[in-house]
Amino acid sequence: MVTYDSGANHPETPHAGFLTRYLFSTNHKAIGLQYLWLALFSVFLGVAMSLLMRIHLVWPGVHLPFLSGLANSPERFATLATLHGSLMVFLVLTAAPQAGFGNYFLPLQIGAREVAFPRLNLLSFWATVASLFGMTAAFLIVPQSGITLWIASVALFCAASLATALNFTVTTIDLRCKGMSLPRLPITVWAWFINAILGMLIFSILLAACLCLLADRFLGTQFFHTVNFLASQPANIAANVLPVLWQRLFWFFAQAEVYIAMLPCFGLTTHLISTFSRRPVWKERLVVLALCGVGVFGFCVWGEHMFSSGMDPFSPLVFSVLASSLGVPATILLLSWLGTLWNARIQLNTSMLFALGFVSLFLAGGISGIFLARHDLAAAAVSDEFVTGHFHLVMGVAATFAILGALFFWFPKMFGRRLNEPLGKLHFWLTFAGVYCVFMPMHWLGLVSHTNIYSSARLATISTMLGSVRTFITVATLLTVFAQGLFLVNFLGSLFRGEKVETCNPWRATTLEWSVSSPPPADDFGARDPVVYRGAYEFNVPGLAEDFVPQHVAPEEVTKSR
Amino acid sequence: MPGTTATPEIEVVIEDVGGGAPPPSPPGGGDDGGDDGDGGEGRGNWSPPPKRYSTAIAIGLVSILMFFMALASAFIVLRAGSDKWIVVHLPRILWVNTCVLLASSFTLELARRRLSLADPAGFRKLWLATTILGFLFVAGQLFAWRQLVAQGVYIASNQASSFFFIFTGAHAVHLLGGVAALLFVSLHKFEKTSISLPAAAEITSYYWHFMDGLWIFLLALLYLGK
Repeated sequence: MVTYDSGANHPETPHAGFLTRYLFSTNHKAIGLQYLWLALFSVFLGVAMSLLMRIHLVWPGVHLPFLSGLANSPERFATLATLHGSLMVFLVLTAAPQAGFGNYFLPLQIGAREVAFPRLNLLSFWATVASLFGMTAAFLIVPQSGITLWIASVALFCAASLATALNFTVTTIDLRCKGMSLPRLPITVWAWFINAILGMLIFSILLAACLCLLADRFLGTQFFHTVNFLASQPANIAANVLPVLWQRLFWFFAQAEVYIAMLPCFGLTTHLISTFSRRPVWKERLVVLALCGVGVFGFCVWGEHMFSSGMDPFSPLVFSVLASSLGVPATILLLSWLGTLWNARIQLNTSMLFALGFVSLFLAGGISGIFLARHDLAAAAVSDEFVTGHFHLVMGVAATFAILGALFFWFPKMFGRRLNEPLGKLHFWLTFAGVYCVFMPMHWLGLVSHTNIYSSARLATISTMLGSVRTFITVATLLTVFAQGLFLVNFLGSLFRGEKVETCNPWRATTLEWSVSSPPPADDFGARDPVVYRGAYEFNVPGLAEDFVPQHVAPEEVTKSR
Repeated sequence: MPGTTATPEIEVVIEDVGGGAPPPSPPGGGDDGGDDGDGGEGRGNWSPPPKRYSTAIAIGLVSILMFFMALASAFIVLRAGSDKWIVVHLPRILWVNTCVLLASSFTLELARRRLSLADPAGFRKLWLATTILGFLFVAGQLFAWRQLVAQGVYIASNQASSFFFIFTGAHAVHLLGGVAALLFVSLHKFEKTSISLPAAAEITSYYWHFMDGLWIFLLALLYLGK
């Protein structure tokens, strides 16, 4: 903050220090990019964790330099899962679509030049960085103090997310430009806005829960008393206390995160599908209502979980996963995507491919969710591979697809260069095939290992098969991870050598960020204040020369077709 | 230590009330290159509308309410599920503290009335009185804690006492944020900022009255919950 203040007192000059310009800039675009870099770093760290887990699962004896010394006990293995989960869920799935793209594009899309409280924004970014360090450090120190540090880091992350959510909410309510009425907001902005309101509500609950946990650990209070907690659990779980307690804590927080991570992805996907189908969002109002529905639903399920069941996160989790995948809002969104795609002249570039991949994964995850609704099956399989597969497919991988789609879409705007399309498509197809190869057999594994109708002879054949399936999954994981190398090469290469974008609007899109240069100037809109004249998705309006009308084009400037 | 995690949240609140205010922007200073202070990039004469502060405080209050509702629901759930709930006898001083806090809300409103009647001296006097009453309340809460400790009731004694200390502690931390806002309003020079003194006083009053009502709610919960 000191650095910032010194920057504030002097006008910006070309010689402003590196720290002021990049690390401590309060500009919403700089902070958005920093969140994206942070997410990129965390995603590769988290992927390394999952690789380590898979390798340990299949080849337990393999000696890995540096890391094998860390993961040589059951506690270590459990903390590995927690670190993978918390990095991916908090720093990638929560931070990238909401804080990353949101910070960069929410002000641009509503015609504001800044978020409502720029310095608060900077503060919450650095709090997020601190929580990343805390979570990672929690892995490296002894488990008991590691848990404490992890909880404190999560509390810090909650506080940072609260600040970001507050910023987004106020920005959307008060800082919209002239003409940007609520019905004209792009769906992306709606999703960020609703997500921010949801975040305001549930992150304070998480903060309160963290406070109770920390009080338990530091002050000897008994909010989450181990004995009370274990008394209500089945015997086989109670026998294996330590990893299960870790797992519980993880689920306890992850519960609300599902909605927080998915909401902006719904918005991004809707936006991409409409733009590249060259058609308005089908039933736009209904989509906004559905997004609100996801928000309300997500909050109620969390509330039910918190209020009624206190500390048993398992059965409500099952129903909430079911609800999130099969609820009415999700169906409406799915119908709207299909309705938009119906009979459209689809432009199949990488960005659109990832958006369609999101739809496919969402659908697949929803179908596997039906199985989870069966209570007896769910109770048996809930901590096992079926849920691992289901959860990763719906939340992790689908959200990553939406993030990648958005990155391919907005890369020209952010950096003034395009990502390489052939390389991007290759990356998409390898990843798409890869994740299905990883997570579909995982579903099957979960089902098989909890079925007891087999005779002992068949059991033997099944168990040898299970081993080879596990190996298959691990090999597929390795290949999928190496396919991400293509993305890294594409990303870093295009950053410096990519094809330059000459126009403001390479995708012929309609929203306000495409009315300014690429990358946008420091003050976003230059001397002229933006004015909005129409809705966000005016594609293929009959009687016009172009197949799209940007939001900022005045009615008298629209060229009619002859 | 209960304040450890509440502190970031209260910082959020303080930022809402005052800290988030953009630094003074040079009025029409052409040679300054239009620096408005936020990150130092020139963006003409654009500045975000002042009503963002009242929006922020309204949303922030909902968030704080959720924070306390989560604690309250935990209290209700554990109270209902427990068969050996040990009662904490509320110290008498709490009722005095409540009166002090209610009085501070009253003086705050009187101060704002003075301000609207263009009486800055009267405003400052009553505003100072409000701040002192706020400090008195926190001191009274600390006194209540000491009384309980003297009786041998500690935060870890039982679940009821844990909740008593957590509720009063978290509320006191939030209230100190309000005191910080009161001090900010009385010490800050408002001539150069985008927010006016009456607006800042009004926003602070929202927060203060909310803390007042929240305390009544928590007290009722603790009183009826025994």
